[in-house]
Amino acid sequence: MQHFLHALLEGSRAALQSIRAHALRSSLTTLGIIIGVASVITVVAVMNGLSSSIRGQLDDLGSDMVTIRAYTTPEQELLGFRNKLRDEDYLLLKSRVKNIEDITATMPAFSMGLSVGYGRNSTQTQLIGADSSYQNVVRVYPQQGRFLSEQDDNKRRRVAFIGATVAKKLQMPANPIGQYINLSGDWFRVIGMAEKRGSLFGFDQDNYIITPFSTAKALNGPDNLMVEISYRPKADADPKLIEQQIRQLLRHRAKLASEAPDHFEFVSAEKTKQQLDTVFNSITAVAAGVVSISLLVGGIGVMNIMLVSVTERTREIGIVKALGATPQFILLQFLVEALVLSLFGGVLGLMLGYLFAAIIAFSLPSMPGALVPLWAIGLSFGFTSLIGLVFGLAPAVKAARLQPIDALRYE
Amino acid sequence: MMAIAANEQPVVIDLCDIGKSYQMADETFYALRELSLQIRQNEYVAIIGPSGSGKSTLLNVLGCLDMPSQGHYQLAGHKVAELDETQLAILRNHQVGFIFQSFNLLPRMTALQNVMQPLVYRLMPWREREAKAKAALAKVGLSDKAGHLPNQLSGGQRQRVAIARALVTEPAILLGDEPTGNLDSKTTSDIMQLFDDLHAQGHTIILVTHEQDIADHCQRVIRLIDGKLAADSRNSPHPDKLRV
Repeated sequence: MQHFLHALLEGSRAALQSIRAHALRSSLTTLGIIIGVASVITVVAVMNGLSSSIRGQLDDLGSDMVTIRAYTTPEQELLGFRNKLRDEDYLLLKSRVKNIEDITATMPAFSMGLSVGYGRNSTQTQLIGADSSYQNVVRVYPQQGRFLSEQDDNKRRRVAFIGATVAKKLQMPANPIGQYINLSGDWFRVIGMAEKRGSLFGFDQDNYIITPFSTAKALNGPDNLMVEISYRPKADADPKLIEQQIRQLLRHRAKLASEAPDHFEFVSAEKTKQQLDTVFNSITAVAAGVVSISLLVGGIGVMNIMLVSVTERTREIGIVKALGATPQFILLQFLVEALVLSLFGGVLGLMLGYLFAAIIAFSLPSMPGALVPLWAIGLSFGFTSLIGLVFGLAPAVKAARLQPIDALRYE
Repeated sequence: MMAIAANEQPVVIDLCDIGKSYQMADETFYALRELSLQIRQNEYVAIIGPSGSGKSTLLNVLGCLDMPSQGHYQLAGHKVAELDETQLAILRNHQVGFIFQSFNLLPRMTALQNVMQPLVYRLMPWREREAKAKAALAKVGLSDKAGHLPNQLSGGQRQRVAIARALVTEPAILLGDEPTGNLDSKTTSDIMQLFDDLHAQGHTIILVTHEQDIADHCQRVIRLIDGKLAADSRNSPHPDKLRV
């Protein structure tokens, strides 16, 4: 062990000396590794920045909100079925499920997209029917005016709570409260405008109009009464237990046989986040895999130059063999040299990658700081060391096996 | 044949029936044949002979750079044929000091680092290495050139550095392969004076040469012809040495 450490120390000394002696060649050799590591770091950093930015947006949406939505399996769809959740389901859950902070039902109205008019302007938007508890579950707050009240719902008032985009596209006054907008021929009075939420995956989160649930129901007509139910569990409640309770209630009400699949699904920001993570992780893995090929090419560059170096220094190897250098010592020295070369490239590549990531983060405002995770740094160093060792091995073995007498005669 | 009586010094080199052959295409070339000789401690030996007589091959065998095809060789009590590559390297490091015609200094190292190099292969702390190397450089009179690179030194100085490098390990034998072959006559006589001094200090020196002047410095001259021992004679003390 002591021999090994000694040889390692002396080998590193000799390796650094020879790298310094060929500074230009050494830097060019490591260029492949530099580019490889820089691209790995950049790609990972950008993917990471992207996913953390999206995760942040999801958090803003309220990660503890769960939505129950009708779900039709592909087999059922082939048979022409279409599952629905109804108003009655909502009322049942509202009265029976415990440990829920708030629960609300929304009814997508004119779900195909709706034209809304104001004066001479018109735009496309979506209309949601909801009751007053929607505000607490989805956490949408008025910037101006107020949200829908229970009275609005009871009296089936033609009032609308609009998103910021709608007001902007219709070129409404800065304070749109009290203005009338036209939804497919019916006039609605604007009673409130929501705070801006920004965009998510490029989708505008502020392009919507909310009317009272009962109003939407009336507009949709009796044949089209699908609802989505959203709720927020109490902070100390187990979300799994609540899901189980809801599942039993809904299945019981629909009189499903025990082997039949659920006719609804739970959608939560938490689940979306998990799915997103899976997607991002696989994209990162694929991208990292692709750029790893450039690392491989860089490794071959190191091997190439090490082979040249061994040939070039054949006589020198002969001299040190005559002086008593053991084959192991020479093997170690050349391995260390290859290792130092690739690690040198790794460090430079890391710095370059950070720089690229910073530039990209700077030029894309939607990305808050492209982060380089520790594992990516560890991985690039591990990988470059491995490359140095693997591709340095052949030249090092060649050097160690040289016969001193032949090496000394080499011109 | 080996009638060197009245010498109580221990045997350092013991060659017994050494042969070295190379396979060349379909014929075998013999560089050394049936060579037996002994060299004792503190002998001063010249190996001479025309080119192709096998003297360089013999030197390589003596220095454990090359292995004989047949026969037995013992260096300082070690049976060379039984050693593997690593053990041979260690043996070279401890027992043999090489001095080459073309100096063979490591070009990117200073004189001091060159002299320290053989000690790198031993478990020796840097400080101790440096002290020994400085002492060796002082012995060859080059203390003031320790920080110079080989290409900043003259031929004679380079060979002195090489000699210091050979001395620093305190080897059993110093092996010189035409050590003055690349030097002018003035420098040659300086270097030979150095060898004479080293011999006087008790070192065992073996020089391969084809110059009679060099051989005249030595006590014992071994002549090879066609790979065979042709003569093994003793010189009368050198006139230079009488003066000292």
